[in-house]
Amino acid sequence: MAVGIGVSVAVLEPGMATMVAVADDPGSERGAQSDDFAEEAIGYLDTLYRGALRLTRDPAQAEDLVQDTYLRALRYRHSYQSGTNMKAWLFAIMRNLFWDRFKGGRPEDVSLDGDAEASLYDTLKDPTAMPEADVLDRIAADEVVRAVEQLPELHREVVLLVDVEGFSYKDAAEVLQVPIGTVMSRLHRARRQLQRSLQDYAREAGIVHGEQGRAG
Amino acid sequence: MNCRECEERLQSYVDRELSEQELLEVQRHLEACPPCENHFRLQLHLKRLVKVCCESGQAPAHLRAKLRQILF
Ligand SMILES: [Zn+2]
Repeated sequence: MAVGIGVSVAVLEPGMATMVAVADDPGSERGAQSDDFAEEAIGYLDTLYRGALRLTRDPAQAEDLVQDTYLRALRYRHSYQSGTNMKAWLFAIMRNLFWDRFKGGRPEDVSLDGDAEASLYDTLKDPTAMPEADVLDRIAADEVVRAVEQLPELHREVVLLVDVEGFSYKDAAEVLQVPIGTVMSRLHRARRQLQRSLQDYAREAGIVHGEQGRAG
Repeated sequence: MNCRECEERLQSYVDRELSEQELLEVQRHLEACPPCENHFRLQLHLKRLVKVCCESGQAPAHLRAKLRQILF
């Protein structure tokens, strides 16, 4: 599983941790090799911290999450295949820690995806949910971040991976351990909600003028 | 390609996830269909806006220092 980005299931499943720990011999791998690993890993610190901040919405919790992510990465560094996608590997670790620590378990049975397929494209052209480009430009960055942070976690994390971090659907699917179709439907719903909340904000802030303003 | 078929592919188009063939078909439709073209521009705009707005900010210096101690 998750071969493409080198995410070992052993890293992601808490129950498997002891198996990996047995194979892990601290001390034997110190030196140049682990320094390379550490150097590459710490190169993603800002990226991971930003992601953690968006996930937890709390600087102190974001710090804890990032620190725990690095601790786990260091402990399971043998399961990382050199030359594969370390950013995805780190995000996978962080994302699973987030759900375990902060949300009390994996998000398997969340009903958010329930009617995703049926309604996927039906409301796509709802004009009231679609801010114009120039309206988007006048919305403050803080407000956009707030809109992202208001998304349900399952939708927020896919936006972070695909839109902010530029992951392919395939890599995002591997990090999230869901099919690509699920990535696509969550992304679709997330963007729809973003459009809606930004449009609502624009209306409330008086940024929207013209027909909609006059009608109101 | 009609508008509905275009809509169904627009997200993947914006995310650069279409095959070469599908990409060309969507492109051809967008060139000929202002409503879909407009919709595409908004989607792309939103995607870029989210990226730009969420990408700023750095990890605190003390966290970096602590992690360097742990990692090296
Ligand atoms: Zn069209």
